[in-house]
Amino acid sequence: MWLGAAAVAALIAACLSIRPAHAAIHHAALVIQHASGSVITRCVAFAEDQISGLQLVERSGVQYEAQDFGSIGSAMCQLDREPSTVPAGCFGAGPYWQYFHRRGSAWQTSALGASSSLLRDGDMDGWHFAAGTNQAPGNIAFSSVCAAPAPPAGTATQAAPAANHATPIPTATPAPSPSLEALVPSTSPPPKAVLTSTGPPTQPPQATALGPWLALGSTAILLLTLGAVNLRRRGP
Amino acid sequence: MIRHPLAWGVWAIAVLAAAFIDRNPYLQALLVLVVVNVFLPYRARRRVGTWKFAVALALVPVLFSVALSRFGQHVLFTLPAIPIIGGRWTFDAVAFGASTGLALLLTVAVFAVVQSTVRSADVVAILPRPLYRAGTTLALALAFAPKTLTAFQSIREARQLRGQRTGWRSAPALLLPLLLTTLERALQYGESLDARGFGSGRRSRYRPLHWSAQDRLVLLTSLAAIVAIAIVPSVPYNPYLELVPRVPNPDQLVAVGLLAVPAVTASLSRVDHAPHHA
Repeated sequence: MWLGAAAVAALIAACLSIRPAHAAIHHAALVIQHASGSVITRCVAFAEDQISGLQLVERSGVQYEAQDFGSIGSAMCQLDREPSTVPAGCFGAGPYWQYFHRRGSAWQTSALGASSSLLRDGDMDGWHFAAGTNQAPGNIAFSSVCAAPAPPAGTATQAAPAANHATPIPTATPAPSPSLEALVPSTSPPPKAVLTSTGPPTQPPQATALGPWLALGSTAILLLTLGAVNLRRRGP
Repeated sequence: MIRHPLAWGVWAIAVLAAAFIDRNPYLQALLVLVVVNVFLPYRARRRVGTWKFAVALALVPVLFSVALSRFGQHVLFTLPAIPIIGGRWTFDAVAFGASTGLALLLTVAVFAVVQSTVRSADVVAILPRPLYRAGTTLALALAFAPKTLTAFQSIREARQLRGQRTGWRSAPALLLPLLLTTLERALQYGESLDARGFGSGRRSRYRPLHWSAQDRLVLLTSLAAIVAIAIVPSVPYNPYLELVPRVPNPDQLVAVGLLAVPAVTASLSRVDHAPHHA
């Protein structure tokens, strides 16, 4: 009896001692391609294990307007001042912001809105303002977005705007009309919410993947052993 | 053994919270193990029917999800453009349906455990005074349904033994004796309640329901598990976003472990319920 109790106590202690590496800095890339063909990229650093596609845009510092569509997620109505005015119903009749995830060496249409899709370290999201369907952005590798010389440790800055690695924001885009700006409040985050980095992932976190698996396996084995003991007992 | 209905109620809520808040398949598998472990020492007789129902209930969401959902990246096969079911059938949809089905299976299993362990008389006994009459009526009504089903099966078997039909054409011949049996049972219930002085005044109990140490332990650990499940941040499993589930974090494992306390106390109990074969 005491042996079993000690084993349970040891397992609980072991479980409590294993902690995920929350403090590690992760990186995700953002590619925005305008209708004119100009492309802007951002490399965003984040401390969490994963962030949503909308958080990636937020933290990149790029201006955007999004509309929530419930369980499907949020749709991007305006990104980097394109279109110049937010269309009625978010999408309008012409081109719209199409959302993609980078899978391997190709872009893949996102099945969910930006607020529902999750990005982890090394992931890349792409936005393309185009008409039709499956108009993916140009071919850009993650390493080309997050591949600037690594800054010294600690240079990831709070409240710093994200670096623009590629073509600058198109200047031909007309500014939105002031009246509409007043009607549609900007959802861009306050500067203090931005945690960005211009460099590549600084020493990717080497999380101990074995620990959680050991804890899971031990728990399963303990429960199976307990089940074997209880199987020999008959109910009251 | 744990007997107090409140302890079992809080345990059931904790298991259901764990099953529905984060539908991680690893956690769900552990929860199934926990519930089976708790069920084993308290099982009174074989409840194959309940488990068959639970498994069937778990399979329905899988079928619906895979047949109706067209989302997902991992395509199993593609059907031609047949209305409703045509298009891509994905493994992501299977995983989503399976996680929903497991949550339903856990729900049925938890209620099966509670049904095996909690006496309806004990539940009625802990009800507040204003709810006593309504609670007793409800408990009797709930007990009436399985009794009626048993009576129906008995009548059917009796007709089969006499070589008479038992199909739907013989429904009137089945329903009439069933109605008479049910009415007779209702009258017996009424007389029993009358004989026990139901509704006549203050109730007393021959054996008052006390909190045992095991009851308190289960209550506390279940409450701790609920708090842990509510506080520990977790990313709910969504196979459409990430097919392979994440390994549960240690806090979640501890919370699931706390839910196995009823099984642990039963296994550590000195009373041996094993049948004596000597």
